[in-house]
Amino acid sequence: MTMGTCRLLVAALVLAALGAPAFAGGGREQTTNDDTTMMSEATHEAPMLHAMVEDGSLPPLEERLPIASDVMVEEVHEEGQYGGDWRMPWKGIDDKWALSFITEEALFRFRTDGEGVEPNVAKGYDVNDDATEYTIYLREGMKWSDGEPFTAADVLFYWDHMLLPETFGKALYDCYYSVDPETGERVRAEVEKVDDYTVKITHAFPSPLFLERVAIDNKWFFAPAHFYETILPEFIGDARAQEVAEEWGFADAGALGKWTGYYYWVWPERPTVRAWVASNDPNSQRFIMERNPYFWKTDPEGNQLPYIDRIVVDKAEGDTALLDAISGGIDLLGFPFTDFTMLKENESQGDYRVIQWNSSALASTGVMLNQTFDDPHLRPLFRDIRFREALSVAVDREALSEIVTDGLTEPRQAALLPGIPNYRASWETKWIDYDVDRANALLDEIGLPWNSEHTRRSFSDGTPLELVIFYSQDGNATRDAESELLKSYYEAVGITTIIRPIDQGLYHEMKYANQIPASLLGGIGTVNVAFRPDNFLPLRVLTEWYGHYGLYNQTEGEEGVEPTGDVAKLLENWSRVVAAKSREEVDEWADRIIDIHEKNVWMIGYTSPLPHLFIVKNDMRNVPSGLVFCDEFRGIGHGRPSQFFFEQ
Amino acid sequence: MLRYVTKRLLLMIPTVFVVSLITFYIIQLPPGDFMTTYIAEAEAAGERLDLQAIRMMRENYGLDRPWYVQYGKWIGGIVTRGDFGFSFKYNRPVMTIIRQRMAITIFISLVSLLFTYMIAIPVGIFSATHQYTWGDYLTTLLGFLGMATPNFLLGIILMYLSFRWFGNPMLGLQSPEYIGLPLSIPVIVDFVKHLIIPVIVIGTAGASSLIRVMRGQLLDELRQPYVETALAKGLSWRRLLFKYPVRAAINPILSTLGWTLTAIFSGSTITAIVLNLPTQGPVMYEALLSQDMYLAGSWLLILTVLTVIGTLVSDILLAWLDPRIREEYS
Repeated sequence: MTMGTCRLLVAALVLAALGAPAFAGGGREQTTNDDTTMMSEATHEAPMLHAMVEDGSLPPLEERLPIASDVMVEEVHEEGQYGGDWRMPWKGIDDKWALSFITEEALFRFRTDGEGVEPNVAKGYDVNDDATEYTIYLREGMKWSDGEPFTAADVLFYWDHMLLPETFGKALYDCYYSVDPETGERVRAEVEKVDDYTVKITHAFPSPLFLERVAIDNKWFFAPAHFYETILPEFIGDARAQEVAEEWGFADAGALGKWTGYYYWVWPERPTVRAWVASNDPNSQRFIMERNPYFWKTDPEGNQLPYIDRIVVDKAEGDTALLDAISGGIDLLGFPFTDFTMLKENESQGDYRVIQWNSSALASTGVMLNQTFDDPHLRPLFRDIRFREALSVAVDREALSEIVTDGLTEPRQAALLPGIPNYRASWETKWIDYDVDRANALLDEIGLPWNSEHTRRSFSDGTPLELVIFYSQDGNATRDAESELLKSYYEAVGITTIIRPIDQGLYHEMKYANQIPASLLGGIGTVNVAFRPDNFLPLRVLTEWYGHYGLYNQTEGEEGVEPTGDVAKLLENWSRVVAAKSREEVDEWADRIIDIHEKNVWMIGYTSPLPHLFIVKNDMRNVPSGLVFCDEFRGIGHGRPSQFFFEQ
Repeated sequence: MLRYVTKRLLLMIPTVFVVSLITFYIIQLPPGDFMTTYIAEAEAAGERLDLQAIRMMRENYGLDRPWYVQYGKWIGGIVTRGDFGFSFKYNRPVMTIIRQRMAITIFISLVSLLFTYMIAIPVGIFSATHQYTWGDYLTTLLGFLGMATPNFLLGIILMYLSFRWFGNPMLGLQSPEYIGLPLSIPVIVDFVKHLIIPVIVIGTAGASSLIRVMRGQLLDELRQPYVETALAKGLSWRRLLFKYPVRAAINPILSTLGWTLTAIFSGSTITAIVLNLPTQGPVMYEALLSQDMYLAGSWLLILTVLTVIGTLVSDILLAWLDPRIREEYS
């Protein structure tokens, strides 16, 4: 509680007692921003920074940017104007990723057309013919947000002092290992400094996807050495590190390392290379990120980015974002498709436009059966491909689309979307025709007889057949309607279905304990199986269909269920993807993985994915629509927020 | 009297201890722990966590120990050092988090409480003294409506009306454009405007039931023989009413002070979530959901202490106000 707030409370009490005019006037009051934020041809920098340069508190622009040839020129949709605050609600520090996505600057980033990566923090790269040596060039004269130079030493520091010792509690990322094609052994890469602005990464075996994998696994392959040398125990000693941690409000140096090493962008003390940097305590009611005066990108006219002055987020307690949006209090924020009608109806009142991005999900509705579920009756049944086909054809996808998604989706299988590598049309349309007779015939063939009243099926030994579908209550409004409809379709072919919506924490607990027999598909998907295969392969406990196969792989066989048959083949093919010598080879083995998926349909999908919505204030410009919204591309970050601007 | 108070104060210690033990145990009861929630949220955000890292974090937080060990460590810290532990979720000392919203919570609660009493007591008196008139029926109807309407629903309705009529749902306690500005008349006016809905919403529910209590108690008192005696002796109605029956009828309000104190401290949780108020309620709700044990536990411990103190205070107040009770102590 600050003094200011205390005074405010007292003053308000007095005023309330005096009977202050309530609801005086109406409508939204705007504080007028009287400093004119016209783009100045001469300065090429934001007026607020220019003023600081004038009074000598900031070096001139040329000294803040990298040398002319190394400045990154960002393509902009139109030349912007400086100024404005990007306002939106956030849920506090739990919502840290929302701000990360907006401000993230990766070493290599995905191109907006989705076709691979391009240098971002890096200026460029060279790779040798067998894809074992990657030479990465940095930008000469580039600076951290506190003005310190950004050099190869910062990359080496990150590698030696943060990645390898696991300072922030994460094991070294997969992308830094290459695989021996003969033995399958994983070998760690070597990182060395060539000169101040060049780093070389050497793999023992070819790693043709290294750059893409770094762009997914470890976007920030660098850390400010000069900063960490003042907080890490290995430089200042344990006792001092503990003191520093407590000064920052953390319990111990470990917590400080984790929170500033991984979730670093919310701490004002930590220099970054992002367009906006934290300016106050993220636990405050209002958290503000201000423009980075040393940001290293300009528009084609040479104006330093970002255009927008600040990102201002206010802590929201509940789901008030929608109300906030339609009353015009939000500049740009993503919304689920279920809010489409509400958002559209209030477009003019809220003075915003609704734009759509595409999803990378496999389907919007669907179901998964846990292949390792520990039940003597259900496990063989779930592994029976005929049962999965029966569940797929027992559902009227058209009706599901009409009821759950207002008819905005098309019938489809849970398959890769068109435009994504390894896409195939045959998978997309497999088992999608509504055919109750076929479903019944399959179930009869498996040996699941009806009872005498013909109301439900049981196993052949008389054990009742019950399909329990769990889903986590994460606020997705379509889940209830979806699950109830699926229940009615499944029960129409004799499969007793029980729907269990449960708490998100409990759901994960049960998932790790392998207690979830069946689940809703949710938004799983990928932009490229070879980059991010998690939903397709049991690498760890994550996606419900492979259950404890994932644990087996994660614990190297100590726990879990050993993959056999086609699942084992998936992993075999994956190890070939990882050990591939060329992109063609990667593609070939990824294709095999998709073949196996198409054959087995472990993830049963019913309707096509829904687009992702953003509301954008009408005066906010340069916000593209129609891009792919996904974690790999960092959500809205894929739209290059540093070139968004407010029309002044 | 002094002996009585001392005895009560000493009895508080075992009470608080047992209650804290039980609450701590109950917080642990739901399946999973803080890490489960953490992993769930991290996965939803696209993070990938390996088993090793999860195990390390559990150890760091002491979550791998049985609950009574965790309890012992926590209560030991409180008793010996006044240290309520760390919140897992915020990575901050528990007291820092509780303190952050304390003033605003107490302020809103007090204003709503004032509102409650200002409405409930006069209306209750009016209702009892005008029994079975249209005025009584009207206040009874409104009272029941107020009691039957869930707070949060009233909140949503008022926000909607405010949005329709004024184009602003009055979320939170300040308009965004005023946050962080130095104190000035417009800032205060804006703040007071934002107080209206929360105070009405939080105050109405309490007021409605209090009207009923006040009315019932007062009706009981008005039928007492001493009232007739006093009237017969020529005491004016108004003087009589406020000197004797009203004073007696106000007892239940005092005896519920024990709970009122906790309500002041916690703020109204669901209402605060709906209206987006930065009070304790939502923070604690989140803490309980995510099993942020030390935060949730400390909060419940403070509530326990406040309830116990509140009960004592209301007993003392009752004795002070009501000579009949006072006689029993001496």
